Amino acid sequence: MTIYSLYIFDRHCECVYYQDWHRTRPARSPPSTTFKPGVHRLPPPQSNTTNDGTQQRESIFANPNPNTSVNGGDHNNRNSLVSTNNGRSGEKGGGGVGGGGANKGLPFDEEAKLVYGVILSLRNMVKKLSGREEAFTSYSTGTYKLHLFETLTNYKFVLLSDPSSDSLRFVLRQLYVGPFLEYVVRNPLVDVDSRDRGVDNDLVSCVAE
Amino acid sequence: MTVHAVWVISKAGGLVFSRSYSDVLPPQPVNTILTLAGILHGIHAITARLTPSPIPGVPVTGLEAFEAEGWGGKVFLTPTGTKFVVLHSLPHPGLDELVRSIYEIYSDAVMKNPFHTPEMPINSSLFESRLQTLMAGVNGPQ
Repeated sequence: MTIYSLYIFDRHCECVYYQDWHRTRPARSPPSTTFKPGVHRLPPPQSNTTNDGTQQRESIFANPNPNTSVNGGDHNNRNSLVSTNNGRSGEKGGGGVGGGGANKGLPFDEEAKLVYGVILSLRNMVKKLSGREEAFTSYSTGTYKLHLFETLTNYKFVLLSDPSSDSLRFVLRQLYVGPFLEYVVRNPLVDVDSRDRGVDNDLVSCVAE
Repeated sequence: MTVHAVWVISKAGGLVFSRSYSDVLPPQPVNTILTLAGILHGIHAITARLTPSPIPGVPVTGLEAFEAEGWGGKVFLTPTGTKFVVLHSLPHPGLDELVRSIYEIYSDAVMKNPFHTPEMPINSSLFESRLQTLMAGVNGPQ
């Protein structure tokens, strides 16, 4: 079972959290005008045009002190970074072989909007067709499957996995009940209606299972 | 498995056929179904765009199935761009074969009809009656 990415949307239709794991076509970082801190760990928009080594990428990160892997949080941070970088190099290789333009991912903010739009329209469609409050749970294509878990407070947890997996709503529910409530809702330092977030280590470990 | 409804969507996204076969889902006015079919057509295109890890050389495909809590939908795209949408109840053994036989009936009763204009609404009593027999066979034992 492969899990590609996780999105969390708040009730203002904004993506408040994003992480990816095994994408060969990673999301590109959004342009600096729409860049928001604390949502994802994609490298920020490249203002400098150097051929950046990994050290430089790490130093751009939102984490102020990324090179010290003293505690678990930083360690996971580095892990997610490494996977992102691997994806990047894979993308470059693929682009060289078969027409780079088609293989380029969307900018992150555009992609988040598309995901939100799709789940919103499918949800409304399901509601209309069934004539009552019925939750839309998942859809699948030939290459991936999307799972949706919606909380009463209109947070939407979206998970992309490979198409053969079973329903993963319980994972999303666990994610909500466990790390999300514990580290976001009950965290006085997180402004719930804005976007800054910081619970990554627990999310990563949850996916490891 | 119970089949709730069958839609046929032309390659331009217009609804050319829709029929309901059970009363689990409430009946919808044709205009609503027309709108929903158009939305589904758009969603199909977007979902293909969202593919997280495409395999080089393999064409990306769009939406194939979606699920709600008590029922689901299956979208079958033919090589010519026509989409068949089947709304069904949830454990769905034999759904793929069912969709294929709907496609077969469509090819026989609609595409081989010299009086049928492509991309236009299907007005074929043969198509309807053969679908009806097929659905009676599927829904009957429930």
